[in-house]
Amino acid sequence: MLFTEAIGRKVVSTDTASTVGRVRDYIVDPRLPGIVGLTLSKTSGEGGALPWSNIIAFGVDAVTVPGAAAVVVPDGYLTELAAKPHTLLGKRVLSTAGVQLGTILDVDFDPAVGRLAWLLLEQAPIAAGRLLGVGSYAVVVRA
Amino acid sequence: MSILLRSSEINKLPVVTFAGEDIAQIKDVMYAAHGGRVGGFTLNGRGLFAGPLKTALAWETVVGLGPDAVIIQDESSLTPTESLLAAMQSSGQPPGDILGSQVLTDDGAALGVVIDVVIEVAGDGSSQADVVGYEIDPAEGWGRGTNPMLIPLPDTLSASGEHLMVPAAAREFVTDDLAGFGAAVDDFRAHLRLRGRG
Repeated sequence: MLFTEAIGRKVVSTDTASTVGRVRDYIVDPRLPGIVGLTLSKTSGEGGALPWSNIIAFGVDAVTVPGAAAVVVPDGYLTELAAKPHTLLGKRVLSTAGVQLGTILDVDFDPAVGRLAWLLLEQAPIAAGRLLGVGSYAVVVRA
Repeated sequence: MSILLRSSEINKLPVVTFAGEDIAQIKDVMYAAHGGRVGGFTLNGRGLFAGPLKTALAWETVVGLGPDAVIIQDESSLTPTESLLAAMQSSGQPPGDILGSQVLTDDGAALGVVIDVVIEVAGDGSSQADVVGYEIDPAEGWGRGTNPMLIPLPDTLSASGEHLMVPAAAREFVTDDLAGFGAAVDDFRAHLRLRGRG
């Protein structure tokens, strides 16, 4: 599944069948590399973060959660990774050889476990296993 | 695969950590082994008004040097500038500045004045960055026009800060663009080795 195709997708609670928010962005830990949570828009409560472990399923039409309580106020770990310097989309990609490979147009991930599979650039895609870090200046991948 | 870079292109390159942060930018290239290879870099802070940093980057801690960035593991790769400068001096830092030196052949002809340094970085990332040539402003007496020329260097060279001595044969391997220069350096060095043997 691609990052861009799931942005805006409904997050639905299975106990009340009501929409508790919409997917706004992905919180990625480059060390895994995988999605550790989602930030949501249009939530009712205070919290705006959905840790990956609180998700029942990341489906093609909706993300399901057990209840509205799955949406929480992000802890320090999630807050840090959700900050702007750690977003992937639109960021330049540098190899460890010091060569700019392009910018990240999209990211392909496995919706079952949240693992990143491919970074999609203007040219050839890069296996997410090569990811070393995501910072304010660039995404760094192994050459 | 190796790449060729001019030292002027290396200046101002961002220094980026594995975490993707640009923590500095290159101020100047420091040369070791009598100007034969890159020993390290002095650094500026990032941003328009940032001044020089008190830390520098030794070549040994550089993971990759390319046309777009210098990649290092993290901040711990930086060393105090003073201790690196001292290390450079003991390893044979060239006296004075290479830029502006006059290039003389061993048969006594002036080829021109150095305006840039051409550095070859081996693609595997583990080896060194060699100085393989100079870009020179050709001397009038040489009759090669006024466009900058690239001149290949032997493996070892002697420099005084005033003059740089090159074998007379270097003249025949001069090119005017970087694209064909790697082959010219290889040909020139092969030529010198052949002559040395015979």
